[in-house]
Amino acid sequence: MREFFLPKKDYRVVFFIGKGGVGKTTSSAAAAVALADRGYKTLIVSLDPAHNLGDVLMEKLSDKPKKIAENLYASELDMEKLIKSYLKHLEENLKHMYRYLTVINLEKYFEVLSFSPGIEEYATLEAVKEILMKGDEWDVIVFDTPPTGLTLRVLALPRISLIWTDKLIEIRRAILERRAAIANIHGEQEFVVEGERIKLPTKEEEDPVMKELKAYRKEVAFVESVLTDPDKTSVVAVMNPEMLPLYETERAYESLKKFRIPFNMIVMNKVFELKGKVPELKAKLEAQERVLREVSEKFKGVDIVKIPIFPEEPRGVERLRELGGAIIGER
Amino acid sequence: MPKRVLENIRAFLKGFAESFKHNSTEYLEFELRELENVFALTLMGEFVGIPSPPTTLVIRLLPHMTRELYVMQRRAVEMDDILGELAGMFEIT
Repeated sequence: MREFFLPKKDYRVVFFIGKGGVGKTTSSAAAAVALADRGYKTLIVSLDPAHNLGDVLMEKLSDKPKKIAENLYASELDMEKLIKSYLKHLEENLKHMYRYLTVINLEKYFEVLSFSPGIEEYATLEAVKEILMKGDEWDVIVFDTPPTGLTLRVLALPRISLIWTDKLIEIRRAILERRAAIANIHGEQEFVVEGERIKLPTKEEEDPVMKELKAYRKEVAFVESVLTDPDKTSVVAVMNPEMLPLYETERAYESLKKFRIPFNMIVMNKVFELKGKVPELKAKLEAQERVLREVSEKFKGVDIVKIPIFPEEPRGVERLRELGGAIIGER
Repeated sequence: MPKRVLENIRAFLKGFAESFKHNSTEYLEFELRELENVFALTLMGEFVGIPSPPTTLVIRLLPHMTRELYVMQRRAVEMDDILGELAGMFEIT
């Protein structure tokens, strides 16, 4: 069995990435089935808004993990629902606190927020974070992801969030230092709004903003530490023997390298193998040959597994089992 | 009578100390207000087209940001008077 599927430290996280339509869902489901078969308690989660994990497993899934077979649990995250309920909850909290702030029309703000660029990535990251924080419940967590672009952005987010948070902590510290200096001379400072007196916090421990910033930093740093740990995370790229998926896989490889996220394997899906000669398919086979050659040259040190094209799509646990064995490697 | 004088002197000294205290923190207070303004503006930058920090973080911080938002709002209202405030602080008349 390939060692980057084995849980080394507590649990193993495997991301299946790739262009749309190359067979990420099937491959990830197959790998999950095979891992569960070998006795690892496995959770497979679909982060793709266009859900088809349920179709592949032939089960109806929800955002709660559902038992599919011995050791195998599956769930589908509903991003839209997640974003909506998240914003709704916060809007109510905020409305209560900011009723006097008329300049900032919160209702409009939230309307904009739910469509703001990046909200989907952040919601996905939040969901991934929640699953990772409860990672100890599982041996292996397999993520079936949305097409490459979105996934790469999600994987890049922890690093970017850390940069932002550090910057904000810096400004916050400057604010608190000045407040403390003023309080030293004038005594405790108060802030009166609508007759309510609020004491201005001057210490890092008593400032709720600083506390929130630090809590957030800790959470993001945790996700980052899991994602960049080769003993915990592995990324499997799924592609077809065609030029466009090849380019996309190359780009993914480069950006993952930049964010120090381990890239371990390529599943070359839907490979054509003909016994006889079919002149009509000659050009197609040659193109495929070229891609296969390039892949083995370009991705040195990365495992490559060829999966032949099946006459029928493999669906259901039984049929996924064999395919999964090929992906994770036989015992 | 001397009691009155003493009281006056005391009041004068107190006023003097107060004004001294005020002068010494004037710059600090200005700086603090600006920082609070910048902090809020950074978080709410989407309004004015500044790239924003992670949305989740913004949303988590908002409930604690009453003061900073208030400062930012005041700043927006008194926008044209920043020069006046600076001039006053540096005693340019």
